[in-house]
Amino acid sequence: MANSGAQTDNIYWHYTPNINYSLGLDYQRDKISGEAFPSARLTYLINRKNTATSQRNLYLKTGIGLDNSTNHFYALAGDWETRRLFAGFSAKQVSGMGYELFEQSVKLGIAPYLGAYGDLHTWLMIESKKDNLDDRRITYPVLRFFKGGALIEVGYHKKTDWDVHLMYRF
Amino acid sequence: MKKFLLAALLLAATASQAAHHEMGHMHSHEGHVHDTMVDGRKLSVDAERFDNFVSAVPGDQIVVISVQGMVCDFCARGIEKTFGKDSSVTKIDVDLASGKVLLSYSPDTEIDRASIDKNILNNGLNTTAIQVVEK
Repeated sequence: MANSGAQTDNIYWHYTPNINYSLGLDYQRDKISGEAFPSARLTYLINRKNTATSQRNLYLKTGIGLDNSTNHFYALAGDWETRRLFAGFSAKQVSGMGYELFEQSVKLGIAPYLGAYGDLHTWLMIESKKDNLDDRRITYPVLRFFKGGALIEVGYHKKTDWDVHLMYRF
Repeated sequence: MKKFLLAALLLAATASQAAHHEMGHMHSHEGHVHDTMVDGRKLSVDAERFDNFVSAVPGDQIVVISVQGMVCDFCARGIEKTFGKDSSVTKIDVDLASGKVLLSYSPDTEIDRASIDKNILNNGLNTTAIQVVEK
């Protein structure tokens, strides 16, 4: 997985031994401090509810710096989706790297068409974020495409510029 | 201007995909849904899809799995990967629209429902029915 956003660029690799948790290594370059932040990450599935038409998830995410354990983050994230609709949220606390950051975000999406398995899937989304460093909410459109094991998500806001998210599932 | 053109291009691509899928959606509904009773429960699969699947594996055993939570391609990808590792599975079909997974097994295989259920659960999804179709 690779992300490029307003505050950070990062590459993240993770392995999921079972559905309850995944372990990963993350290399993040912080655009605010200019420092690199290699870390070990854990994502734990707190709760999942499957129905015939939907799935709901609640995750706890955490990471700790590999070269400096004072660099760490933890986050609570959740999502609910059907084939047509998506809603997700995240609350993340980042410490170390010379600042404290608390960021909240929500994302809503709609699929303009329902693709079959293996088709190109498209989501039209809107994301809204707010953090304590820049106490202003920013809201911007996001396009998500995925096909097979590949996903690309592109968001744009005039203040933070492009936010790009690439993921491949092996 | 470049941003505007890029946004317009993306929207056009999305609209094109949507139109293509609406046509495909209409076409698939021309078929009838199989309501055959299997194991005391309606099979409820897309007839055309099911017939195509069965005709590709003549003589094999067919298993229809009803799955909960299979709402996206990414969720279902692990299912194909997991069952693809089983050498007795000869064909796999994932139908997101109906929440069904079709599997065909070689004729001499003893179908292990508990193992199928476990494989689905290990992919973070739930099984509500496993129906073995008599041919």
